[in-house]
Amino acid sequence: MNTIGLHAVGLLGPGLGDFETARAILAGTAPLAGDAINIPPVRLLPANERRRTTTTIRLALKVAEEATTDSDRSQLRSVFASSSGDMDIIDRICDALTQPEPVVSPVQFHNSVHNAAAGNWSIATRNPAPATAVSGYNATVAAGLLEAATLQQCEGGEVLLTCYDVPSMDTFIRVRPIPHAFAVALRLGPVEGAPWRLQMDLGGAAVADRCATDELEALRASNPAARALPLLEQLARGTAGHVTLDAPLGRSLSIRIEP
Amino acid sequence: MDPLVITAHTLTSAAGTGIAANAEALRNGTSGLRACDLESVNLDTYVGRVPGVEAIALEGALAPFQCRNNQLAELGLRQDGFAEAVAAAADRYGADRVAVLLGTSTSGIAATEAAYHRRDPQTGALPPDYDYQHTQNMFSLADFVATRFGLSGPAMVVSTACSSSAKVFADARRYIAAGLCDAAVVGGVDSLCGMTLYGFNALQLVAAQPCTPLDRDRAGISIGEAAGFFLLERPSADARGPLLTGYGESSDAHHMSAPHPEGLGAAAALQQTLERAGRRGGEIDYVLMHATATPANDGSEARALVRSLGPTPRAVGSKGLTGHTLGAAGAVGVAQALASLAGGFVPPTAGLHTLDPELDLDARAEAEPRPVQRVLVNAFGFGGNNCSLLLEAPQ
Repeated sequence: MNTIGLHAVGLLGPGLGDFETARAILAGTAPLAGDAINIPPVRLLPANERRRTTTTIRLALKVAEEATTDSDRSQLRSVFASSSGDMDIIDRICDALTQPEPVVSPVQFHNSVHNAAAGNWSIATRNPAPATAVSGYNATVAAGLLEAATLQQCEGGEVLLTCYDVPSMDTFIRVRPIPHAFAVALRLGPVEGAPWRLQMDLGGAAVADRCATDELEALRASNPAARALPLLEQLARGTAGHVTLDAPLGRSLSIRIEP
Repeated sequence: MDPLVITAHTLTSAAGTGIAANAEALRNGTSGLRACDLESVNLDTYVGRVPGVEAIALEGALAPFQCRNNQLAELGLRQDGFAEAVAAAADRYGADRVAVLLGTSTSGIAATEAAYHRRDPQTGALPPDYDYQHTQNMFSLADFVATRFGLSGPAMVVSTACSSSAKVFADARRYIAAGLCDAAVVGGVDSLCGMTLYGFNALQLVAAQPCTPLDRDRAGISIGEAAGFFLLERPSADARGPLLTGYGESSDAHHMSAPHPEGLGAAAALQQTLERAGRRGGEIDYVLMHATATPANDGSEARALVRSLGPTPRAVGSKGLTGHTLGAAGAVGVAQALASLAGGFVPPTAGLHTLDPELDLDARAEAEPRPVQRVLVNAFGFGGNNCSLLLEAPQ
């Protein structure tokens, strides 16, 4: 595939408040301390819409906002990639459906769609550009990267990729053990003016890279969106390098990174 | 844009199993809707339920995928020689050069609903035979189809509510253009479940009687289920058939569950589609509308058609046949457009009695036999997510 530019990064995870402050942790020069995570309200949404948001939407839009600071949000295409979508809502609706007279909340129902974050992002940024929402199970990050890269290559302009997964609720924690929220956003576009250039190739079966520290590796393994961490580590190191991620159906996504 | 050719396809819906039965129902306006008789749902409404889904058993490597959505997918994949066409494409291009790009809104959630009914009364634990990865997870459908055919090309599920299985056609065009694959299996599957029936009911969007798109007295949607699959390739001497010549995608940026009242986002998707195809509005035979039969949706979409094609465009609503099949709606629309191109007729709007005088459309209750060259297909979803496609007769 063509080389594309990576213009900005957004990040939120346990002990990782945003990309700039997390750089030292990602570069291995500071320890990952604690697992606190603060998912703020969506400042870009009007108050009545803000009240209707879920943790899933707030998680995704926080990193989307960070990766688009100081850029024109009103035109860029967006890809929202999540393995599982809004597990909290799925839990509540499936629980409600076991009642003799099921009552489903209308707001929960419209927020249950996999593109709830995408829809809220387009509303928040008054952006009529196309938005999509995809999944590739544990390889969702690679699926999202391919989707965003093909959009950039074929349609031009900037593409916002946001990968996010919320923790599993109690009922699901055994069948889908995701203990922490994690989200990352990458603003991709033309190579001109980009601080990093990415060259991606969809390859055959290969072993995905692991994180350099045990703490980050545990995080990487625990949330599908955190599969992006080896890429973020390489970005934080500030040097040229190469990262391999798992892609769907046993394939791999190889990414060459050049500052 | 460089067109793609649709070398094989199949459709299974409440209106029929396989493309011949669906084409016949489309031409005659024969509805497959029936009073809701799902065991787990107690609502006064009609549904487009596909017969025979429950009898499908997934075996061997496919056994973990057993759930209504993948059973319906399997029933669909057995029709119309589609499986043979995919196998031939895999031989021709290589299994890793055939993409699997599919749309669904709720994947196999019916399996999770059933598992919640069987939670351990003491611990609340889900039953041990519940398999989240292969049933409810969004990627399950693409994983199932790829596993069934032994494909290993680029794969994902697009889940943008009711535009899902239209958007995958645009993705296929981009993935082939970017060199990631040489062919793509696209389409979508959505299946009846408690979440969507009770959810749309909570939004007061469900009709008590069979839905009547574009009708003056329309009163909401009937929910249906369907499986539609298409094999897309670059045109060549060996790859002939109807063409995908344009696509358009947009966001309303207006509301999560209500369309823009003037249909601005929908009009943008239609205009982009015409531009990519290098066509004018006057060259379109008709628009196969999303036309869900809610008062707001049909009104907004009609205004979008007038805005992009001019006054009183020829238009068809088809959800009176199948119900609104949600994430599969785009695939159903494309298969119906192909039936119309091949059969030489503009379909009737099934269930239409009196065209809503507020809609500036030429929609009819009877089929019109005549050659059809170009059909626009619309699919719009929650989140203001819009997609239009242009299908053209073989050249």
